[in-house]
Amino acid sequence: MLGNSVAQDLRDVMVDSLTSLTRQGLNIAVLVSDSTSTAKIAPFKQEFPDRLINVGIAEQSLIGTAAGMALGGFVAVTANAAPFLVHRANEQVKNDVCYSNSNVKLMGLNAGVCYGPLASTHHAIDDVSIMRGFGNILIFTPSDGIEARQVFAYALNYVGPVYIRMDSAKLPNIHDEGYIFRPGQPDILRLGNDITIIAMGSTAHEAVAAGKLLQEDGISADIISLPSIRPLEPSKIVESLCKTSLAITVEEHSQHGGIGSLVSEIIAEHGIQCRLKRLGFPEGKFAVSGPRDEMRKHIGIDAASVARTAKEMIK
Amino acid sequence: MNNPFEFNTEEILHEVKEIRKNVLKMNHGAGQGHTGADLSEADILASLYFRLLRYTKENPRDPQRDRFILSKGHGVGGFYCTLMQAGLLDKNLLGTYLEFDSKLPGHPVRQKNDFVEVNTGALGHGLPIGVGMAIAAKKQNLDYKVYVLTGDGELQEGSNWEAAMTASHYKLDNLIWIIDRNNLQLADFTENIVALEPLGQKLEAFGMEYLEINGNDPGAIISTIESLAPNGKPKAILARTTKGCGVSFIENQPSWHHKVPTDEELSRAMEELSC
Repeated sequence: MLGNSVAQDLRDVMVDSLTSLTRQGLNIAVLVSDSTSTAKIAPFKQEFPDRLINVGIAEQSLIGTAAGMALGGFVAVTANAAPFLVHRANEQVKNDVCYSNSNVKLMGLNAGVCYGPLASTHHAIDDVSIMRGFGNILIFTPSDGIEARQVFAYALNYVGPVYIRMDSAKLPNIHDEGYIFRPGQPDILRLGNDITIIAMGSTAHEAVAAGKLLQEDGISADIISLPSIRPLEPSKIVESLCKTSLAITVEEHSQHGGIGSLVSEIIAEHGIQCRLKRLGFPEGKFAVSGPRDEMRKHIGIDAASVARTAKEMIK
Repeated sequence: MNNPFEFNTEEILHEVKEIRKNVLKMNHGAGQGHTGADLSEADILASLYFRLLRYTKENPRDPQRDRFILSKGHGVGGFYCTLMQAGLLDKNLLGTYLEFDSKLPGHPVRQKNDFVEVNTGALGHGLPIGVGMAIAAKKQNLDYKVYVLTGDGELQEGSNWEAAMTASHYKLDNLIWIIDRNNLQLADFTENIVALEPLGQKLEAFGMEYLEINGNDPGAIISTIESLAPNGKPKAILARTTKGCGVSFIENQPSWHHKVPTDEELSRAMEELSC
């Protein structure tokens, strides 16, 4: 499913957004930790060589330096692999970015298990959970190029900390050009009656594909993507859960602290009668490494597995 | 922009005594505080706020101002008392130190105080942030300087050395890193925990312009920092201090890292500081 010929790498969209917004006068500085190729940042560097800071393989210093540049008047954007951002520089994210409320945008590149075969040192399956723990940082998870462009524009103009969970796969568009990203709003990709399937980022594609498979069996599903984890206005989710009373969350993330937890909280706090199945990496284990597609199948977040789970729940 | 005081050494020494007295009163009143660190850094802070730092009282966030980052955030008592002495913080707040939702929490918080540049407390954060501010100045052709005060035990945090490499690589000669070398950390002398020496050689090896001074001598602090030239090298000033400086029974005692004076100890300390 991933790798469609008209698909876009969100990093290309990121770099294009950074370049065009800098051109328009936004005081952007991009900081990398030897991650120029990971960030695909060359076009930005070519046009604005003076606005790219490489601190070397030093993630703690990367985030502290970004906070210092933000406090010095820049829109400081860091672009490095998510695991080294959220784990290695965790305290800098907490204190220098979130607690100090500095205007830093953290691009968590290759999040989830984009680096599948490279094993757990290179996975970030708890990034959303960690960021949700830092109360004031906005968290966005774009699912295609059309959405990503709007997410970047919003995030870079917003004053304050933002984390963007980035995928490395080329993602086909699941939105049309008329789509409008609204911070805080769930994205209703498809309306149905029998079950609610909620996903984020690239797993929105698995959810959409699962919805098509279910349709072939006469099952209609609400398919909801959550591009905006924080802020989040839950009424559309509440409405869907009340309607279907059955829900599945699909995330390339731990079952704990991501959207599975988030939807559980909504169900509990709103007193909704709804059965929920959280699909994601199970508690207490590191991910079994391997090709990403196989990893998705192993934990049941690929389209076929999601559809199968939905049918079992509906039985 | 100038320093609003431009005091001479003698005037600064007078302020330092008042800062130390207030630190002791404040910590005594709160029943908590990092007394040793507050006292060792007082000469450095007074030299900065009464002579070296360029800022205005009216506009704490003036983009042209020199920046000061208290990376050793636990030394916040000395910092608050310096700001109070300089008229940048209400002296009436002294009795509210560490109270619930106080304007004087136990580590610096920028949302509570416009003269705090960044929230510190966890060690090893100030220098990377200072590097970012120094880069921001260079990129925007602003001539402000960035002063970062770290502890010495704090240098066991690796992030300082990451930042030192970056500072050197980017030739940040507008960055002045002052190390409060009082030889003590929480549990014991630094050299008994994990040795830092030869610190000067390490700093030089990381590309710093390295200078060593008596950090409890405002005259030495001022003359050294005022003699620094923009030569493409970040500055590292090893300020040799005495932890608990100014009060004989507190000086060099590991237990005074976060001990506070009893009523009797406070009286004795006030007598010593009034001499």
